[in-house]
Amino acid sequence: MGLYASKLFSNLFGNKEMRILMVGLDGAGKTTVLYKLKLGEVITTIPTIGFNVETVQYKNISFTVWDVGGQDRIRSLWRHYYRNTEGVIFVVDSNDRSRIGEAREVMQRMLNEDELRNAVWLVFANKQDLPEAMSAAEITEKLGLHSIRNRPWFIQSTCATSGEGLYEGLEWLSNNLKNQS
Amino acid sequence: MPPLDKKIKKFLKNSIRVAPKISNKGELGELRTGLVSPYPQTRKDAIKKTIQQMTLGKDVSSLFPDVLKNIATVDVEQKKLVYLYVMNYAETHPELCILAVNTFVTDSQEPNPLIRCMAIRTMSMIRVDKILEYIDTPLRRTLQDDNPYVRKTAVICVAKLFQLNKDLCVELGVLEDLTKALDDTNPMVIANAIAAITEINSMDSTAIALDKLIQSHVSQFLLALNECTEWARITILAALAEYTARDSLEAKDIIDRVTAHLQHVNSAVVLATIKVILKNVTFLDPNQYSPDSKIMKKISSALVSLMSTPPEIQYVALKNIRIILEKYPEILSKELRIFYVKFNDPMYIKLEKIEILVRLVDMSNIKQCTLLLNELKEYSMEFEPEFVSRAIQALAELGIKNGNEMFISKIVDIINNELLERGLETVRDDCCIAMSNLLRCCSTNETMIQQICSTLNSWSAPEDTLTTDLAKCHYIWLMSTYPNHFPSVVEKLTAFVTNFLQEESLTQIIILTSVIKLHSRLEGSVLQNIFETATTHDSVELDVRDMAMIYWRCFSMEGTNDQLINDLCNSSLPKVENILDKFSPETLEKLLTELGTISSIYFKPLDDDTVNASRKRRQIVNQNIIHGKQLNELQDIAKNELSGGHEDVLLDFGDDDSNFINNNSNSGSALNELDDLFSNMNQGVNDLNISQQTSSTTASSENTNKTSNATNTQDLLDLF
Repeated sequence: MGLYASKLFSNLFGNKEMRILMVGLDGAGKTTVLYKLKLGEVITTIPTIGFNVETVQYKNISFTVWDVGGQDRIRSLWRHYYRNTEGVIFVVDSNDRSRIGEAREVMQRMLNEDELRNAVWLVFANKQDLPEAMSAAEITEKLGLHSIRNRPWFIQSTCATSGEGLYEGLEWLSNNLKNQS
Repeated sequence: MPPLDKKIKKFLKNSIRVAPKISNKGELGELRTGLVSPYPQTRKDAIKKTIQQMTLGKDVSSLFPDVLKNIATVDVEQKKLVYLYVMNYAETHPELCILAVNTFVTDSQEPNPLIRCMAIRTMSMIRVDKILEYIDTPLRRTLQDDNPYVRKTAVICVAKLFQLNKDLCVELGVLEDLTKALDDTNPMVIANAIAAITEINSMDSTAIALDKLIQSHVSQFLLALNECTEWARITILAALAEYTARDSLEAKDIIDRVTAHLQHVNSAVVLATIKVILKNVTFLDPNQYSPDSKIMKKISSALVSLMSTPPEIQYVALKNIRIILEKYPEILSKELRIFYVKFNDPMYIKLEKIEILVRLVDMSNIKQCTLLLNELKEYSMEFEPEFVSRAIQALAELGIKNGNEMFISKIVDIINNELLERGLETVRDDCCIAMSNLLRCCSTNETMIQQICSTLNSWSAPEDTLTTDLAKCHYIWLMSTYPNHFPSVVEKLTAFVTNFLQEESLTQIIILTSVIKLHSRLEGSVLQNIFETATTHDSVELDVRDMAMIYWRCFSMEGTNDQLINDLCNSSLPKVENILDKFSPETLEKLLTELGTISSIYFKPLDDDTVNASRKRRQIVNQNIIHGKQLNELQDIAKNELSGGHEDVLLDFGDDDSNFINNNSNSGSALNELDDLFSNMNQGVNDLNISQQTSSTTASSENTNKTSNATNTQDLLDLF
């Protein structure tokens, strides 16, 4: 009954959603993160050709998380999702040292996008459960996060399969998005 | 009171709504903001408004990326709307369609069968080859779906895929799945599968062995026939018509199973059923399909019932009846009355009905013949010239078909006394032709000759009053055959000779032969005159010229006497027995297998040449449909060419043909990104490529190429 009432309430008032864009190189674990947040379980994913979108409730804020495929051919289409985006989650595969440079390049290009100038920046250093994984500090260094001056940013080490760190990330987002509005 | 209740609800809903509304103007800017709004309600409203604009014919393709973002939703209504939009505009944004792939794949495993079905249908409808790369999993999954509704959609999608990309379709092996669908438990799936297979077979007859499949699935078809929709029935019946029964028992069985469908309301089903029956009836004992047999009676009553349909369908039915009548002339002989022309029939029906009436009438039944004669007489008294002319023609056809002199003289009386007495000059042409035809049927009847010739002789200046070529020919022919009955033959023929050069070649020939036949009656100068006219350069008709030359030589031959000329001109003529057109036996057999199709209306059976031509044409269209190389590729070309210097661009002509097609598709989308400098550049290069391609394909003169490219390069330089 309570659920029904709240649903009715939200339907009537049409509650507002926070638009979060989750990007990163292919195979970084974006879709796994998304469904871990949404369903609380790990699902078997296939490479995302296109996008997934789910609404995640956290602390009375509903986040609309857009998970856009990271394959090379889709990256050029990310820009269609920039408008009205309030926060960006950049997911990095901490275990993949060979492509961290590529990730940096992709991220820096996004930071220069005009449409994203007001978006807060959250980096997930994913796959921390793997033995060879780089630490959050190392990734901060390699991605050049310190050079971000004009916006709040944060790096969170996560493990999508166990769910570790995901809600800490959302916590940071909710605090910083509130600060903005 | 429900209306009040509704009003209150609506008022409440509107008063407490926070989400911004979309105004009714539907401007693109407002719609775009609405589509990415943080409020779900606003987004849905915006989608609705977008679709509204789309149906009004306004171009809303620039909203594509924003609408596409709303594709992933749990709201079925919204999903349907977005799918609708995507189907419509996918071709304008081939590179963006890829963003929808993930949703299609996820939706194809939704618990809701409607969504699964919608996903696969939309996916196969998008004519973008980049999407097709990913169709594998969803298509296979839906072909094996538990729900028949999904399966029946998926089998049609196989045909669509085949049309778009034949090789991929073969590679995925879905054709085997399709043939397996013929064994499905659900009749709708079977019907759609056979429809898809027929369609594929018409595109490429080597892909699937249609004949074999039909042979092995006849029992399934017969079972499914009773349980599916009318359109599916037509497809199944068409497939059954392709099947050749093994023996008379099987043929009998098929006939029995399909006969019930003769009473269907849909005329296409009725015609398809008749086609199946007529195909199988030949296997039976001849007395089982005599005109009085049960089965023929049923067909006859089905055809009669088609006569109470709207005129357009009636027309098709009449055309088909004409084909059937030619094979089975007695099938409708008791139903003559049905085909009488009604005063409010459209002209095309009236004309077609007359065709049927003359063919239908049973000559052994004198009463019926007289009835039809009176009916046709009525028609020929009408006022529409086209109809009257056809009716008069029909009178002649009826007379000749009957062949009885008494009957013919009755018809001649009608034409002579009643039609021509009305004094209308417009009917003279047709009457003249009709009488001359009737006369040829009983050429020995002196009174009739007398009667006709005296009427014709009384016409003054026939060379002016007769308008059609054929009528003139008949008139002149009658004069030359019965000169003794035409007191004024010399004057009349001389008048025709004077007009010689203004006539059509057919009339010219008949004038020529007539003058030769009657040369002894005419003055010598007339003969000389016509030879000269026909052979001088004023006359361009080769046949006439050669004929005149031959006769002239005959006349100038030594020892020529009238005997030779007589032998040349007055051969004995065979009696006319039938002037109705008939199909050749092969054409008739082919047309019987194509009843109810468009070829039955044109009486032009489908031959292999036309099939091949249309197949080729379709392939060309398909090549143009499929596009979608990436914008990136073009950007790369652009980058390379620009960095290489503008002179290089000027000289670089050797691009491959595939770019040509892609340019067309991409230049449209590039237009939307004019705010982006790079796409401006891209556009320029696109134009350049197009002009390069056209110039290299048409291989026109080098100079024009250079100038057109020079202007393009100039545009390109201006951009920087």
